[in-house]
Formats: sequence, C-alpha cells, structure tokens
Amino acid sequence: MKKMLGLTMAASLALTGLVGCSGSQSAGQPQQAPQNTPVTLKFWNTMDPSETKVLQTIVDDFMKQNPNIKIDMQNVPFSDAQSKFKIAAQAGDGPDVLRCEIAWTPEFAALGLLKPIDDKVSEEDKKDYLQAPFNYNVYQGKIYGIPQVTDAPAMLYNKRLLKEAGVEPPKTMEEFKTAVKKLTQNGHYGFYLSADSYFFQPFLYAFGGGTITDSKEILINKPESIEALKFMVGLKNDKVTQTNFDFANQYKNMMTDFKDGKVAIIFNGPWATADILTGKEFQDPSNLGVAPIPAGPKGQGSPVGGHNYVIASSSKYPNEAYKFIEFMNKKENQVKLAKELRLLPTRKSAYEDPALKSDPIFAGFAEQMKVAKNRPVIPEGGQIFKDFTPQIEAVVAGKASPEQALNNVADAWTKLLKK
Amino acid sequence: MKYIQAIKQNKVAYLFLLPAMLVMLCLVFIPLVQGIYYSLTNIDQYNMGNRFVKASYRFIGLQNYISIFSGEGFAEFSKVFRQTLIWTFVNVFFHFVIGLGLALLLNRHVRGRAIYRTLLLIPWAVPSFVSAFAWRWMFNGQYGFINLMLAKLGLQPIPWLSDPFWAMTAVIITNIWLGFPFMMVTMLGGLQSISKELYEAAYVDGANRIQQFFRITLPQLRPTIFVATLLGVIWTFNMFAVIYLITEGGPYNSTQILVTYAYNKAFSSWQLGEATTYGVIILSMLLAFSFFYTRLLKMEKEQ
Repeated sequence: MKKMLGLTMAASLALTGLVGCSGSQSAGQPQQAPQNTPVTLKFWNTMDPSETKVLQTIVDDFMKQNPNIKIDMQNVPFSDAQSKFKIAAQAGDGPDVLRCEIAWTPEFAALGLLKPIDDKVSEEDKKDYLQAPFNYNVYQGKIYGIPQVTDAPAMLYNKRLLKEAGVEPPKTMEEFKTAVKKLTQNGHYGFYLSADSYFFQPFLYAFGGGTITDSKEILINKPESIEALKFMVGLKNDKVTQTNFDFANQYKNMMTDFKDGKVAIIFNGPWATADILTGKEFQDPSNLGVAPIPAGPKGQGSPVGGHNYVIASSSKYPNEAYKFIEFMNKKENQVKLAKELRLLPTRKSAYEDPALKSDPIFAGFAEQMKVAKNRPVIPEGGQIFKDFTPQIEAVVAGKASPEQALNNVADAWTKLLKK
Repeated sequence: MKYIQAIKQNKVAYLFLLPAMLVMLCLVFIPLVQGIYYSLTNIDQYNMGNRFVKASYRFIGLQNYISIFSGEGFAEFSKVFRQTLIWTFVNVFFHFVIGLGLALLLNRHVRGRAIYRTLLLIPWAVPSFVSAFAWRWMFNGQYGFINLMLAKLGLQPIPWLSDPFWAMTAVIITNIWLGFPFMMVTMLGGLQSISKELYEAAYVDGANRIQQFFRITLPQLRPTIFVATLLGVIWTFNMFAVIYLITEGGPYNSTQILVTYAYNKAFSSWQLGEATTYGVIILSMLLAFSFFYTRLLKMEKEQ
C-alpha cells in the first residue's frame, strides 16, 4: 500500500513538473501543487479508550484545518507499544508518528529509529516546555521529540474515609504509617500495596535511595534503598494493606477497591483520575483528595513519567508529521486534555489557565510535580523494570529478603548497562 | 549417483514437490540456519542493525552456550528447565487420562452423544488467548469466580497468581482445560477403528471388561497414543500463550518455561544472541526426545 502511495506521489510530482516545463506562464502555480497532494500519516496512539475519545476530537480539528493531511490513527495498547514499534520500525514499516513513553525515547533514538527534529522545534516552544519532561527528548545533544503529557504518581485518598477515621492527609511517612493503621477498620483498609517496581519508587525517594543515575551509577542496593523496601513490606506485615495479593491483577484490583471505597489511600498518577471518577465512591468528585506523597526521613518524590510525540526515521513526511504534532501540542489542546482528563500539560503557559488552577485534583498533581524526580535518561531506561518487578514480588511474598532482592536487581542491571 | 537416477525416474513427482520444498526452504530452513548462526554471535538490539544503522555484531563461538550451562546462567536455566518439565508432564498426563476417559465414555452408546461431543470440543474451539484471559479473570485473587465460590463455601481464598505453587497450578489447570479435547477426539478416533469382532471373541472366551481393556483396547490404541502423546509433549513444551497471558511468567519467574523465558530474553531484554541460543537448546531437546520416544515404541513392537 505504502509503495503504491509513493509511486502515485512520484507520478504526480513528475506530472506537475512536466506541466511546469511545458510553458505555462504563471510560475507560482506548479510549485504549489506538490504541497496540495494529499498525505496520509500513520499515528500510533497508546492512550486508553476514554482518553482516546478526547484525543480524537483534536485529531479531527487538525484534519479539518489541514485537508491535505489525513491522519490514520491506530490505537496500540501501551503495554505492547514498545516492542511493537521496535519490530515495525526496524523493518521500516513503523508509523510516522508515535506517542512514545518518555523512557523509550532515548532507547529508540540510540537505535536510530527516530528522526532528530532540532531544526523544527521553535525557540518559543523550547522555552515554554517544562525542563524535566523536555529532557527526556534529548539524546546525545539532539532533540528527538516533544513532550505531550507529564505525570507523577501522587497520594490519592478517599476524603470520606479519612474523615470518619479522624485522620488528616499524612505529610510524612511516620504520619502515613499511623494513618493507614487507623484507616484499617469497618471492612476497609488503609493502603493498597502494589508489588511493583514503578510504585515502589516513591518509597525509594522518601528514604534517600534511587534507581540508576544519568551517569549509569546503580543506587538500588545502597542501604537507603533497602531501608525503603523494608518500610514498604513493613506495611504488609502490619496488616494495613489488602489481604489478598494478586500480582497479575493488582493494578485492576487497586482501582476497583479504591472506586468502591474499600481502600482509603493509593498511590497513582493523573492518568487514573478519569477512571476513578466513574467509581461509586467518587460520584461527588470532591471526595477525591490529591496530595503529594508523604516525605520520608531523607526526601520526597515520585518518578516523573509521561509521553512524547516522536517521528520515526522511516517517515516519508517529516514536515507534515511535525506540523501534526505541533498542532496536537498547542497550548489550547494541552489545556483541553488537562481539563477533561486531568493529564498534566508540559507547557508552562498551560498551567496559567485559570480553569485549571481552580481544579483541586489538577492542582494536587501540579503540587506533586514540584517534588517529582527524573528517571534516568539513558537508552536502557525503558528496560529497567523487567528485572526489577519480580524481585519486589518475591520480597512481598516473603520469599526473599530486601537486601537479597535488591542485590539481584543490581546484578541484573550491571549486565544490562554493560551493553 | 543412485539418488540422481532416482530423481530422474520420478521427475514428475519431484516437480510437484518443488513448490512445497521452496516454501519450506524459505519458511523453515533459512530461519533455522539463521537462528543457529545468531546463537553463535553477540547480537542484541544495539548491534543488530536496521534500515538506518549498520549491523556490528560479531561471531563469538560457543560463548552463549557456555554462559547458559555454567555458573549463574546454569542456575537460571535449570530452574526454568525444571519448571518446563513439571509443566509438560503434568499437562500431558492429565490430557491423556481425561482424554482417554472421556473417549471411552463417548465410545459407548449413550443418548445425546453428538451433543456431548460438541460441548466437550468447545475448549479447543475457543481461541486460546480468549480462554487465557477468561481464566486469568477467574483466578483473580480478590474478584475471581473461583475464590468467590470458595468464600461462599466458607473456605480460605487461594492466592492463585501470587504464589509460585498455585500460579503453576493455575496455568496447568487452564492448559488441561484447553488441551484435553484434542486428546479425546484422537482417542475416540482410535477406539472406533478397533474392530468389534475382537471384543466379541474375547467375550465368548469369557474375558471381563478390565481384561478386555488391557488386552485389546490399549494394545490396539498404542499407535494412536504414541502419536498423540508425542504431539502433546511437543506442543505443551512450546505452549506460549497460556503462560504468557495468565501469569506473564510470574510471580518472580516461577511459572516461566523455556519458550516464555526465551521470548523474554528476545523481546524484553533484546538479548537476541542468548534468546536464539535458548531456541536452539529447545529444538535439540525436542529432537532428542522424539528420537528416543520413537525408538522406545519400535523396541516394544519388536518384543
């Protein structure tokens, strides 16, 4: 199909060129013609269905304003997109535009699968984008994408349950421990513990630990990191978490329990709010509290996540593709995603929007962003969780000690970083 | 010379075979040789090259095999191998027992036999990823059907997918459910090809049902059993979808079998050299198994 398109393109170019030569006097016309030939851009979107609905309206706006560019949007499940893109792009059959997780961007760039776009990003845009999300687009001094949304898990709580138990939203890990103890009563419990490396990171930062630095130093098995894991598993041993651990379904179960008011506090990112607000406990959205994750003895924070728009190096229409992602990322459109889905914009100017400032859920996440921490911007960044999560599971299941497990992670990462 | 003459004699037959051979060459042999070659290199995602970057991996001899069969690599390998053996033999055992049992029942003249047969084929007819997702949901520790039933009966819920033993049990149950219909249909076919006269003669001679089963049914079924279990072992050994979709090899790799492990090596860690080495090992194991299994059958026949 693509080849056919290319051929017709070439043919039409040749034709218009011929027309130009054959003596038509109005010189301006033929040069215009190639731009008017319709172009179809393949766009892989990784948002979930409710988010996609909103995104679709922006895509439609774009197509209305640019009748020559057709966007063929395909939904690729987020969990498959990383390997799917690699396989497709390596075969030269990738999409033109990909919504790319931040940690994948340096990896794809290192593999030569992305087009550098230094010459396309305007100076105003460079100034307007938040530094942390923008950094994930820069690999070895070149720009490979623009940040679409940013995020970081915050502490989400059920205001009603906290009020009934007579506790304030905790600000430190010590307060957190006592709060969840008090919240474990009357058929509900304090905190949903995800045996997952991503959701372990807030604890890591609170106790002064870390994962990998940008200079590829491994921090995961230093004493502070082990302390953090001990604290997290301690919550399970104190019986303030869910009683039934189901690693394969934990994210889904966490959401269900929170929506049904069975758990008082969870850690989750802005991407979850649209879904949470459909729950019976949050028919009144003001029952949902959002606050920064409690500070520990040595720090505070949660991992900065998010997504970028990138252009595949195989794209035949990089200019049109950039025009498209520039439009998608306009301030107004970022504000739209923020308003309807509470996804955090990556433009400073978007945060000035009065409607967003007055939204408590949005403001809560914006507050969390101030203390969020960058994940390592290295090509291996997208692969570090694969060896990490099974070890956290083993500790939570009581099959390995925190020291042992984190040493195993460090070993696996040493191997990964060696290349 | 002899071969060339043979080919000349059967020119037409070989001509007809040619397209199939070419397809086999492209789809089977070339990838096979390529895979074996990759297992002797240090290929990974950074040096594999693509349309935009030149490949830069190099030949490293048996290095990949050595790292799998020694030290830490071997500890990992033997763990996964042990899990693969448990997975394969428990599955095939139950496939066989349940399949044969149902086939014996269906071989008798019961009312509504056609309906039973159709119903019993359903697990096999449903695409395996659909079943896998359904079972994954049923095994959900908190909201799953099975644990809800246990709770209704006043029993403790089972941590299906977060305990190594129960996770293995869960994937095996799913795969037994998926796989027994094939065994049943094959056995039923085998049973129906046994001639009725044998049983009549045995009946006249005064053999009881148990004697008939062991002296007539089983020996007559042997070729069917052989082919079906051989296929069963190979398929189960390489069964990817069930494990990948239900536990993803977890919790902490305790339901990983060789194929899912090799897949992880290839498509999450992108250690393609190591992954193809696993592939070659899997292939060699199955070849060795088939070889000895065939021998075993021949030996028994000759006795």
